[in-house]
Amino acid sequence: MSARNPGMPLDLEWVSKVRVNTQAVLKRAQQIQGRNKNKKQWQAAWLLRAVTCIDLTTLAGDDTPGNVHRLCMKATQPVRYDLLKSMDMQDKGVTTAAVCVYPSRVADAVKSLKAANSSLPVASVATGFPAGQTSLKTRLEEVRMAVEDGAMEIDIVINRTLALTGQWEAMYEEVCQFREACGETHMKSILAIGELGTYTNVYKASLVAMMAGSDFIKTSTGKESVNATYPVAIVMVRAIRDYFLKTGHKVGFKPAGGIRTAKESLVWLTLMKEELGDEWLSPHLFRLGASSLLADIERQIYHHVTGCYAAYHQMPMA
Amino acid sequence: MLCIICITCVLVSSLQRHGQCLSELCDLAQSPSSPSALVRLLQYYSGWAQLRDSLIPDWTPRGKCCTTVIVKLVVSDDCSLYSLMLKVLPALAMGNAVVAIPGVGTAPPVLLLAQLFVEAGLPAGVLNVVTGSVLSLGSKVAQNPHVSYVTYSGNKKDGEILCRATAGMGVPVSLSLSLGATCPFIIFESADIDSAVDGVIETAFKKNRECQWMLCVQESVWDSVVARLKVRMAGMKSVPLLAEGDRKLVDAAVQEAQQQGATPLLHLCGDPIPGPLLPLLSFRSHGEGVTLGNHSPHGQAASLWTEDLTLALEAAKSLSVGAVWVNSHSVMDPSLPLSGHKESGNCIDGGKEGLFQFLRPSSLPPLPRSSPASVDYSTFGTAASAAIIPEGSNSSSTPRSYLQYVGGKQCKSESGSSVCVLAPGGTVLAYCPDGGRKDVRNAVEAAIKVQPGWMKKSPVARAQSLFSLAETLELKRRDMAVSLHSQTGLSLEKADMEVELSIAQLCDWAARCDKERGGVPSVPQSGSALSIPEALGVVGVVLPDSSPLLSMVSLLAAAVAMGNAVIMVPSPKYPLPALEFIQVLQSSDLPGGVVSIITGGRDQLTQALANHSVIKAIWYWGSMEGCQFLQHTCASPLKSLWLHCQEKDGVRDWAQPHASLQEEMWRQAVQWKSVWIPTA
Repeated sequence: MSARNPGMPLDLEWVSKVRVNTQAVLKRAQQIQGRNKNKKQWQAAWLLRAVTCIDLTTLAGDDTPGNVHRLCMKATQPVRYDLLKSMDMQDKGVTTAAVCVYPSRVADAVKSLKAANSSLPVASVATGFPAGQTSLKTRLEEVRMAVEDGAMEIDIVINRTLALTGQWEAMYEEVCQFREACGETHMKSILAIGELGTYTNVYKASLVAMMAGSDFIKTSTGKESVNATYPVAIVMVRAIRDYFLKTGHKVGFKPAGGIRTAKESLVWLTLMKEELGDEWLSPHLFRLGASSLLADIERQIYHHVTGCYAAYHQMPMA
Repeated sequence: MLCIICITCVLVSSLQRHGQCLSELCDLAQSPSSPSALVRLLQYYSGWAQLRDSLIPDWTPRGKCCTTVIVKLVVSDDCSLYSLMLKVLPALAMGNAVVAIPGVGTAPPVLLLAQLFVEAGLPAGVLNVVTGSVLSLGSKVAQNPHVSYVTYSGNKKDGEILCRATAGMGVPVSLSLSLGATCPFIIFESADIDSAVDGVIETAFKKNRECQWMLCVQESVWDSVVARLKVRMAGMKSVPLLAEGDRKLVDAAVQEAQQQGATPLLHLCGDPIPGPLLPLLSFRSHGEGVTLGNHSPHGQAASLWTEDLTLALEAAKSLSVGAVWVNSHSVMDPSLPLSGHKESGNCIDGGKEGLFQFLRPSSLPPLPRSSPASVDYSTFGTAASAAIIPEGSNSSSTPRSYLQYVGGKQCKSESGSSVCVLAPGGTVLAYCPDGGRKDVRNAVEAAIKVQPGWMKKSPVARAQSLFSLAETLELKRRDMAVSLHSQTGLSLEKADMEVELSIAQLCDWAARCDKERGGVPSVPQSGSALSIPEALGVVGVVLPDSSPLLSMVSLLAAAVAMGNAVIMVPSPKYPLPALEFIQVLQSSDLPGGVVSIITGGRDQLTQALANHSVIKAIWYWGSMEGCQFLQHTCASPLKSLWLHCQEKDGVRDWAQPHASLQEEMWRQAVQWKSVWIPTA
């Protein structure tokens, strides 16, 4: 595991020089969608890799300890044992990357995972998720409480007001404080790209978030009108590459929201491979924020193993 | 002119049915084309076929009279199917019959397409495909008296050979030399670097690419670009070479580069290297970037990357190429005209502008054919003029000595000698200078200094100059009429008529300065397209014998109104009106050097014009041998030619300036540039 991104002092000049050509980015996104033509066992292999990168998420108003427990169980055994056995993968430790819940459910998740003897990390959303429109004091307090409850990863939301009005120093300051509150816990910065306006702004916000010490940058909360799309991902991933080329630090990428089919997950993996390289194809640098995606992947794997299309009720529920 | 819409509809559906077969054939023949591009071509030109009569009235297919009309097109071996069809379809749409001679790469798909055409209902004989060795067939077919136009698409060498072989047949030949052209790919510092690098990787390392890219990067972003290129290239699979023979060339080039320190190759002369090599150059300022992009003999296309609007438009204007793609590359669509500047061709394909090569004004008869005479190209135009021996006749009427007009000043010829000007009766009327190569050289030097400024002037300013010219001519009306009368023997009323018509022509072209404009083609991809007519540069005009004043004024006005500089060679039989006109030029506010008038032997001066590489186009009225000579020599370096053989031509009636004739002159005086900017 490579070293964490320590961040760097804010370089406003770098930020101001950013230029993004929308049409060219859209064109590249189109291109990438046609790239992955894997079939059969290679496709199954890519799908299993996608499973290991999923942050299995439940962020609903009606979450209770019961459904969180079920989620944790699914996370430890994401694909049915017999399917894994027929692919000879049953003892390779195929689990999802993490479980993602609201702060008040963190304690329940930690308890369930401990009972199942699993080392899966619990990720918590924090800082006024999803809108971030609360005072800085309460947002910082949320982070600290989630860490106390046992969260190993925190997904923070940036202040879009600051990003939209170009107040990069203020945004940098806030994210630095969140990072400090996280301490040893890994921090993912949610940019909420649906609310950032232009691609140029997305790139700038990505850079600032990375300079402030994010371990991951994440596209969206899943609650906006526009969530993770390929063009916006290309922009963010280019920012990651730019940061890596300049500083040598690797920052991870997490698209979240609207990823529902196995085919899409393959396109996401291809995008990471094409733009950043093989190292970004593993859970320590790439996560998929999804809930119903796992079911579709499981059905695809079922099809690969048995040759038949499964009905949804044949797979264990998440 | 059958219902071509029906034919194309049937054709489109049959193309979609046989699309798989067609693309497999193309792949086998090593010239991949997508059926969707062909379908788009078909749909576009069927539209033009439908609208031809309403949108382009007064123009008929080339050579149409009672005999059949044929347009012949030849394609080199490594040209793509798309380029071939880009010529075939407009020719058909405009009502011509076509003989296509495809190269080795495109023969099987073209034969399949021809078969589909016939099945779709095209009458037999309208589209013919002849396969075989392209070059020998090319000249053989051109010999057929029914062929009225030859157009060639492909590489430069074969194009030259074709021009030489068909010289003197009385057939206009146009060349599109898009293959092997070096195209600049310019990344400014204000570009989206990642997208630009994506673009380079996409286009520069393809197996079948039409042009060789040369990457120019602004110094301030050099490190960024190179770092990203390295990252992308590390992940690329190897690119297959087109032919094994190319491997040696590629290896040789790499070795040469390493010997020179593996830093950017600063000289890119000679044939571009076929193979996945990308030369990389840096530049400091915007101006230097554009200069770097222009520093090649080719002028096919350029791709420039910047998010700065002003820079994009200014650079697009200054690059001397036929197509500028801003923040994009290789956007080919039939509605976006593709023309070659400089050595990349002398005709335009695509768009409305590309239709006119297959048409001629209805009021003109078709060009007559001829067979090549044996002309000794090395001695053409080198004969010295007859020496003048003074006759000891009455000294009271010594003929007047005129001066020619070079660089805004009146002067004698460099050689110092003169020729006689004879009156209709045969007596010596006057003496005029015997101009030659050196005079042409001086005129071109003066012209090239002044022409860029003249071109950049606003059309309104040019119009004012032309109006002032008309006014001055009006003032000198009497003198001009008398000169015409004594020179050509026309009656004074008719001479006066001619002066009046000349004034009218000047006013006409002055008014047209800012009315003639390009267009905004609508391209299926989302973005903005511009099609801009630009001045050619320096044009050489060898004037006809008929209507000496009117023809000269019409041609001068057309060329100068569009921003060109002209060097005019009056007819050796009737030079006086032109020489009188010098007075008019001097008292107008036309900048000196924009118009030069050089008298002397027609052949000698034609040869001098043909040999000067700066002259971009030659408009010639003269002998068959002259036409043949020009066709033979102006293939390399390439010039646009507009040739008329006076002996056989139906004499153009300069006094009746039909709208289509004016349009023809306008289109001869400009070259086109397309600019494409993708937007949402």
